[in-house]
Amino acid sequence: MSEIENNNTDRNESLLLDHEYDGIREYDNPTPGWWHLIFIGSVLWGIVYFVFATWSPYYTAPVEAVAAAQAAEYEALFGTIGDLEPDPETLLTMMADPKWVAVARGSYLTNCRSCHAENAQGLTGPNLTDDRYKNVKVVTDIYDVISLGAGKGAMPAWGTRLSKNEVVLLSAYVASLRGQNLPGAEYDGEQLIDPWPEPGSDAASTEEPDAG
Amino acid sequence: MATEQGQGPLGEVAPGQVEEFRYDDAIVRKFVAATLIWGFVGMLVGVILAFQMAIPTLVQSFPSLSFLDFLYDTSFLNFGRLRPLHTNAVIFAFAGNAIFAAIYYSTQRLCKARMFSDTLSMLHFWGWQAIIVAAAITLPLGITQSKEYAELEWPIDLAIALVWVGFFGVNFFGTLLRRRERHLYVALWFYIATIVTVALLHVFNNLWIPVGAYELITTGSVSSPDNLLKSYPLYAGVQDAFMQWWYGHNAVAFFLTTPFLGLMYYFLPKAANRPVFSYRLSIVHFWSLVFIYIWAGPHHLHYTSLPLWASSLGMVFSVMLWMPSWGGMINGLLTLRGAWHKVREDPVLKFFVVGVTFYGMSTFEGPLLSVKLVNSLSHYTDWTIAHVHSGTLGWNGFMTFGMLYWLAPRIFGVEKLHSLKLATLHFWIGTIGILLYVLSMYTAGITQGLMWRAFDTSGQLAFPDFVETVQRLMPFYWIRAVGGVLYLVGVVLGMYNIWMTWRAGPRKPEEPVHRAPALGPVYVDAPAPTSKLDANIELGKKAEVWMKATWHRRLERLPVRLTVWVIISVVAASLFEIIPTFLIRSNVPTIASVQPYTPLELYGRDIYIAEGCYNCHSQMIRPIFAEVKRYGEYSKPGEFVYDRPFQWGSRRIGPDLAREGGRQSHAWHYNHFMDPSITPGSIMPRYRFLAQQRTDFDEIAARVKSMAMLGVPYGDAVNNAPELAREQAQLIASELATQSGGLANIPIPAGEEAEDWRYESIEDLSERRVIALIAYMQRLGVDITKPAPEEETGGDQ
Repeated sequence: MSEIENNNTDRNESLLLDHEYDGIREYDNPTPGWWHLIFIGSVLWGIVYFVFATWSPYYTAPVEAVAAAQAAEYEALFGTIGDLEPDPETLLTMMADPKWVAVARGSYLTNCRSCHAENAQGLTGPNLTDDRYKNVKVVTDIYDVISLGAGKGAMPAWGTRLSKNEVVLLSAYVASLRGQNLPGAEYDGEQLIDPWPEPGSDAASTEEPDAG
Repeated sequence: MATEQGQGPLGEVAPGQVEEFRYDDAIVRKFVAATLIWGFVGMLVGVILAFQMAIPTLVQSFPSLSFLDFLYDTSFLNFGRLRPLHTNAVIFAFAGNAIFAAIYYSTQRLCKARMFSDTLSMLHFWGWQAIIVAAAITLPLGITQSKEYAELEWPIDLAIALVWVGFFGVNFFGTLLRRRERHLYVALWFYIATIVTVALLHVFNNLWIPVGAYELITTGSVSSPDNLLKSYPLYAGVQDAFMQWWYGHNAVAFFLTTPFLGLMYYFLPKAANRPVFSYRLSIVHFWSLVFIYIWAGPHHLHYTSLPLWASSLGMVFSVMLWMPSWGGMINGLLTLRGAWHKVREDPVLKFFVVGVTFYGMSTFEGPLLSVKLVNSLSHYTDWTIAHVHSGTLGWNGFMTFGMLYWLAPRIFGVEKLHSLKLATLHFWIGTIGILLYVLSMYTAGITQGLMWRAFDTSGQLAFPDFVETVQRLMPFYWIRAVGGVLYLVGVVLGMYNIWMTWRAGPRKPEEPVHRAPALGPVYVDAPAPTSKLDANIELGKKAEVWMKATWHRRLERLPVRLTVWVIISVVAASLFEIIPTFLIRSNVPTIASVQPYTPLELYGRDIYIAEGCYNCHSQMIRPIFAEVKRYGEYSKPGEFVYDRPFQWGSRRIGPDLAREGGRQSHAWHYNHFMDPSITPGSIMPRYRFLAQQRTDFDEIAARVKSMAMLGVPYGDAVNNAPELAREQAQLIASELATQSGGLANIPIPAGEEAEDWRYESIEDLSERRVIALIAYMQRLGVDITKPAPEEETGGDQ
């Protein structure tokens, strides 16, 4: 350290400028070369980047990237089966398929948990694990309740925020929750309803989707 | 600088008479005391906030600690109201008074002149303290413009403009004009840049319509004190956001950077007793800093509804800013060459070395965070908090303490500081405090950012529950709180040390007489050197001469011209961004279905603003896949055209609310405001007082009229706003009652007396302020899903 100090002091004395402010003096040391290089480099890069990001067709804007990711997700999930319809057969088949239940659970936890609680035992919204329902008589009613809402806004409408396929998936998930009978919140106006029909049975295929 | 041509005398041709003068150190002592007192207050509030974020989970585990609930139940102690108090106090009161102390002490000595006017000095000091007191009263009362670091309402804005320009600015520039030193030292350039730019930023970010004043002019009376202290900005949505972060970023640049660089250029070479490393570097980095900083604001708005070109511009200029910033760090650290052995003994130099090092680190981190890809992870997380605090605690705080310890013996007229050991202890405690603070917040920020974007194997969000990502941060919040306490303990040691130094000195320290000749009428500059380049290209020779900067040496003795160039630099750069933002229509494509807020929603929005909800909740869903999965369709610029002020926020301590409308029932919102712990693990304060306070429906008329005056198409609503608001409030109250299974079944908040929490009628419930807030929550982000309204035939104006 002291060696460097001496070297610098010797070299620097000739670089001392002749002005002085309240005892403060200044050296006329040159600006470090690496400083110039990085500064000029950053300016050049800035110009290139700005032109690229603003006018180049090869730049992917965030909104385009999201659209692509959404399309890719749709393709990955529903590419082989296409658009889903909320008919009893679809709901009953999907609710029995662990792959679809896993996907739908993510959507449930993101959107439904604040009112129906993590395991659907109910909080400000009703318990979805027992045999008693407020606005559901047949399995397809679940789709209507999620999509359109119910109870004067007590249950919000999700049809405008989630895609139709997502609502169908969620409906199947909610249908699958029945029968666990977790202890949870009591909710006024709930009624015991008939069990879901077996998938493939006559009841499943003839059930009127708009009933209830 | 030898005269090569030798044509006549150079420099001062006919210096004036030798004059006697004294420096005004009494004003410096005042600013020093204010720095320490407000520093303690501001940082104490910061420590309280740090604990507020950590304590709720502790109370959940140990119910015996529930006496701490008052921290979440008392309107004026709620996080949303206290956080602006913390930021304003540490920026404008602590750092503000510190830079005034530095400027008043050093400017007099660098100009060899007493301050221009002792009266202006006093007006400046007491005016500024009055502004701070006004801030400390109004912010906890929820009187706020909700623009970060510009929260203070319009009467205080006017006071700031008066004190800053009328008292401080005039006093400073008056001193420059009366100086006895021909050339301005680099510290003064930085002070000039500070004063003119802060004035510009402050004025243009605070253009508003004061609701009460407008009401007074149009109706002859004011309906409430609330309205009197309320204002709406001239800008809306995207443009408001742009102006705010043009201001917000440059508040960092010209309130927390340039004045502290000026401070460094004076106090560091004084304390080290070494010449400044490079005069040339100081010229280059000063001008590049002043010119480039002003563009960088949009990096606070990456991935938002701000147009992409502005975001890109903010990013590239932030990266270009790296070297100009480091120029200051190099000049600071290399000035210590030949004085490193002193750092071992002198706490002043210790503070300076660590302060400048933190400056270097945070000005590297700044460009890094402004790179869009990095920002997509860091934005809205504690990484930003870590970044800010490495700058403020490290750079601003330590430069301030170094200066104070150096100043104390000199302004109090004693031989030396009361205790060097205590100052060294302060240094070490403070340094450990900063490290605990920033390291825990880096970890917290990166952890939360990664959790928000993580997907599981089924392609769903791995952490769909927002609260889970908050709970994960609790250990870091405790470490941060400890770091903050340590830093505050250091400040207390500093206060004691400086107090004892003051007590050791005479009651009225002597102000010695100085002598210097007045500036003469004529000054002859040294001629520009001739190029020794062995080339015959004229341009090359000219460039070489220009690089020798004798032109700049000339500029340094012309303060008015120097100031004009600074103004041109910052204004030109600003206009390049501001004009397109305001003029290009395609920047904000309108959406036909987006309609103005109803009168009740507008009133609810004002409650949202007053409670400082924006301190924890963003209203801006970025076009990032994980974000769209979590919150819904990303936000569009056209959705914010009626947002005055914008509420995009900058930090997600709670989830984004841009699409909150219709996501929960009224009943859920009501219960959640009364007791956010219905979401287990939530750290949100309670808003029970909003169900106790009543809406003043008459206030709403003037607010709607002010908005209409700003061009919001309210149509007939202007004439019957209170009635419309009542109608909507009753509708929401009755829906809330229905959703709860009847008025009598609305839950009583835990621990409250039943008789205080029964609503007599729907009307009674509808008058509670919480209903207006729910009305606003239910409107958030729903318009884009609605059909466009049918064209009305004939205007209704």
